[in-house]
Amino acid sequence: MSALIELTDVSKQYGHIKALDAVSLEVHPGEITCVLGDNGAGKSTLIKIIAGLHRHDAGSFTVEGEETRLGSPREALDRGIATVYQDLAVVPLMPVWRNFFLGSEPTVGRGPFARLDVAHMRRTTHAALLRMGIDLRDVDQPIGTLSGGERQCVAIARAVHFGAKVLVLDEPTAALGVKQSGVVLKYVANARDQGLGVVLITHNPHHAYLVGDRFVLLKRGAMAGSHARADITLDELTRQMAGGSELDQLSHELGGRAAPGAAAEVSAAAGTGGGADGAGETPAPPEKPAAE
Amino acid sequence: MLSAAVAAAVTAVALAGCSSTGGKRAEEERAADAGGRSAVNTPRWKVAMVTHSGDGDTYWDIVQSGAKQAAVKDNIEFLYAHDEEAGRQAQLVQSMIDKKVDGLIVTLAKPDAMKGVVAKAAKAGIPVITINSGQEKSKEFGALTHIGQDETVAGEAVGTELNEQGRKNALCVLHEQGNVGHEQRCDGVEKTFDGKLKKLYVDGTNMPDVQSSVTAKLQSDEDVDTVVTLGAPFAATAVKAAEEADSDARTVTFDLNAKVVAGLEDGSIGFAVDQQPYLQGYEAVDLMWLHRYNADMLGGGKPVLTGPQILTKKDAPELADYTERGTR
Amino acid sequence: MTATSSTKESAEELDERLVRRSLVRGAMSRPELGAVVGALAVFVFFSVVADSFLETSSLSTVLYASSTIGIMAVPVALLMIGGEFDLSTGVMVTSSALVSSMFSYQMTANVWVGIGVSLLVTLAIGVFNGVMLSRTKLPSFIITLGTFLMLTGLNLGLTKQISGTVSTKSISDMEGFPAAQKVFASQLTLFDVDFQVTILWWFGLVAVATWVLLRTRAGNWIFAVGGGSDAARAVGVPVARTKIGLYMGVALAAWISGQHLLFNYDVVQSGEGVGNELIYIAAAVIGGCLLTGGYGSAVGAAVGAFIFGMTSKGIVYAQWEPDWFKFFLGAMLLLATLLNAWIRKRAEAS
Repeated sequence: MSALIELTDVSKQYGHIKALDAVSLEVHPGEITCVLGDNGAGKSTLIKIIAGLHRHDAGSFTVEGEETRLGSPREALDRGIATVYQDLAVVPLMPVWRNFFLGSEPTVGRGPFARLDVAHMRRTTHAALLRMGIDLRDVDQPIGTLSGGERQCVAIARAVHFGAKVLVLDEPTAALGVKQSGVVLKYVANARDQGLGVVLITHNPHHAYLVGDRFVLLKRGAMAGSHARADITLDELTRQMAGGSELDQLSHELGGRAAPGAAAEVSAAAGTGGGADGAGETPAPPEKPAAE
Repeated sequence: MLSAAVAAAVTAVALAGCSSTGGKRAEEERAADAGGRSAVNTPRWKVAMVTHSGDGDTYWDIVQSGAKQAAVKDNIEFLYAHDEEAGRQAQLVQSMIDKKVDGLIVTLAKPDAMKGVVAKAAKAGIPVITINSGQEKSKEFGALTHIGQDETVAGEAVGTELNEQGRKNALCVLHEQGNVGHEQRCDGVEKTFDGKLKKLYVDGTNMPDVQSSVTAKLQSDEDVDTVVTLGAPFAATAVKAAEEADSDARTVTFDLNAKVVAGLEDGSIGFAVDQQPYLQGYEAVDLMWLHRYNADMLGGGKPVLTGPQILTKKDAPELADYTERGTR
Repeated sequence: MTATSSTKESAEELDERLVRRSLVRGAMSRPELGAVVGALAVFVFFSVVADSFLETSSLSTVLYASSTIGIMAVPVALLMIGGEFDLSTGVMVTSSALVSSMFSYQMTANVWVGIGVSLLVTLAIGVFNGVMLSRTKLPSFIITLGTFLMLTGLNLGLTKQISGTVSTKSISDMEGFPAAQKVFASQLTLFDVDFQVTILWWFGLVAVATWVLLRTRAGNWIFAVGGGSDAARAVGVPVARTKIGLYMGVALAAWISGQHLLFNYDVVQSGEGVGNELIYIAAAVIGGCLLTGGYGSAVGAAVGAFIFGMTSKGIVYAQWEPDWFKFFLGAMLLLATLLNAWIRKRAEAS
């Protein structure tokens, strides 16, 4: 299968600072590519290039085999690349259905009398969310009243609905509690099962390993590793992500506790969200999302 | 492209859309500008006027025209500054002293704030003439003389006139809350007026608000037979308000402008009390010249009164041209 | 798409839910609710304390006072929903009237030509505000404060320069005046009571603004740029264009108000209008607009203007001691706003 998007040795410089140096990754339909890295590793620069906010300086960036240099987020959207940012995915005070269609509102009528097709918008929002597994009581409630996980999901459902082929998710679980993270990962897997290619950006290897098919590790703007799922274990991923020998040093300084132990809490939590039993298969029995 | 088209369209409409009545063309046909040249060969003295006028006040505009006319005639360089806030007005006076002007004309709307700076001028040897407001403090602060109208006396004149016309129930419309001169005018009316006088405060910077407030007052108080406005622009508004409230109340006003004169003419305004702002400006500059040239002082330093002058329908035809050109 | 049956099913389910959603809660979540309750309270209050308040002619006066504020408060509310302020609105009204009057007079042109030129100039001021805002990224407070001061100066300076005095010359004897006066400053008789035409303009603006806000793409964008402009930009909403449009809306209303000012009084005082911008903003806030943007309604702003009109005229009808005028006005406004906030809090808690 050919890649939806493929980056080869892509670099980006801001003035004297090299933000990204020869990074390569590929995204295939129905697969999740995880980009892992600590703060300042170049994750956000990478996302901005894929989303069309910045242009790369060197290397090649192909979309469905075609060499591309994206000029604006709009252009990226038109090529089927939808980006869901960590904090600015939605407008909190607006109703769910208005958020869902924001920027691409369907209208009826002509010219100055074009009006929103409100009934269609409400119905479609409800249906699209239901397909993602969210059963919302009231699409008129301000999206700010939803939980953080649900909000992410609305943004993902929106991208899916508007025909995205590639979904770029910027730290979708960073600001969430354990339970909510699980819920979001379930929806990410759901999007993948609908045939989308997903770029999941995260600093949490446990979350990445739950759903990822490929893993790209970034460190100070450069590639620190690229693995297929079959080639790497969670422990190894965690070790590489945390900086390998650096972590050993740290654990020594802190009194010799084993580093991977810290992972227990997260993987246990992910179990409640489903999908813990492997990314390639259908997610665990569809629980009702916790709509509190 | 588009803007050029718009411009062309506008020009075309402008050319086609001329008005055959009124407008600048009509004004030019009756224009009579004074202007002129200096009539004396005294040195070019510098005289500064600092008033408590707010921005865009019609009244002070006329005072200025008078002062400028006298300055042209007397070969005087005329400087003008104003600020409605007393502290800043004092600062302006100070800056005029720093400029070493040859004469100062100031208003004492808030005398206490001006006391120090007027004393400074006297100390610096700059002659001071006060105009318009502050008659009672003028001598005390060391000014040569005061030119203006006693607001209370002007109010009393209105009260007397209203008695003669048999009015019983008047409404005094104050368009600036906390203005001492306005209060004095209303109090003056109350002093001599035999009927009842009520006060109404309105927001003078918001004409529709003035109109609806006066309308509301006239609706709620049907006995009112006279509306007294304290500034010329508010007279026409009061007339409109009375119409709207179906009230028979007649409007009388302090001060003059073109619309007031038109109102006098067509009878919608009973009478106007003028304090002749042009005269205040003109006389102040002219007296300053006389003082510097010949140490003269009109009335020996007693206040020179420019009003109240009561104007009625019979004065209207004569006044129309003068108000139109901005000197009355 | 996938399964049409599931869509239909969920639609039915949704409808059923909508019915179940209590009507009270629906009303409680409207932004203008607090203002409506506040308006009722003010109305009842003055009905009791001022005997002539309930007469139809008084109602007409109150509505007129409300309309002169409301015509501006409605687009100002839209702008605030879009997350921006405009401090230049008060003097912009005066500018618009001055341009119209002086152009007609100086060119000896038909007054309709002046009205047209004034429309272009006023809209240009709105565009200036909007473009400056999106280009410089400075807070709108600063930009429009600058515009406010510049316009104040231009109003005074240009009027003096062109007319020779600080007020314009009367244009009442010029061609086109009677027709223009009909449009902008006439009275309509309804059930034996005279109503000012500005009331119609006001209601019309409320209707248009409400429709735009709730039923058009532009309305969706206005909520979005005010509630989260970064999010809006990310999903492809033209943020700059929306804001420029909002400032043009304000300018359009300033033009209407300005023409009313001109054709109601024939002459325009160049120093007028300063301070009114705060009244418009206050009316919008009383009407439920959040100072931070993203929330509010046009109807609310209209009700806010109505509260203002009732209070300022009610004090006159009640024949209260005039020295206390401003105090009562302030107290009434504060009470209305507090009531508004209290109800919103209750609504959110339920």
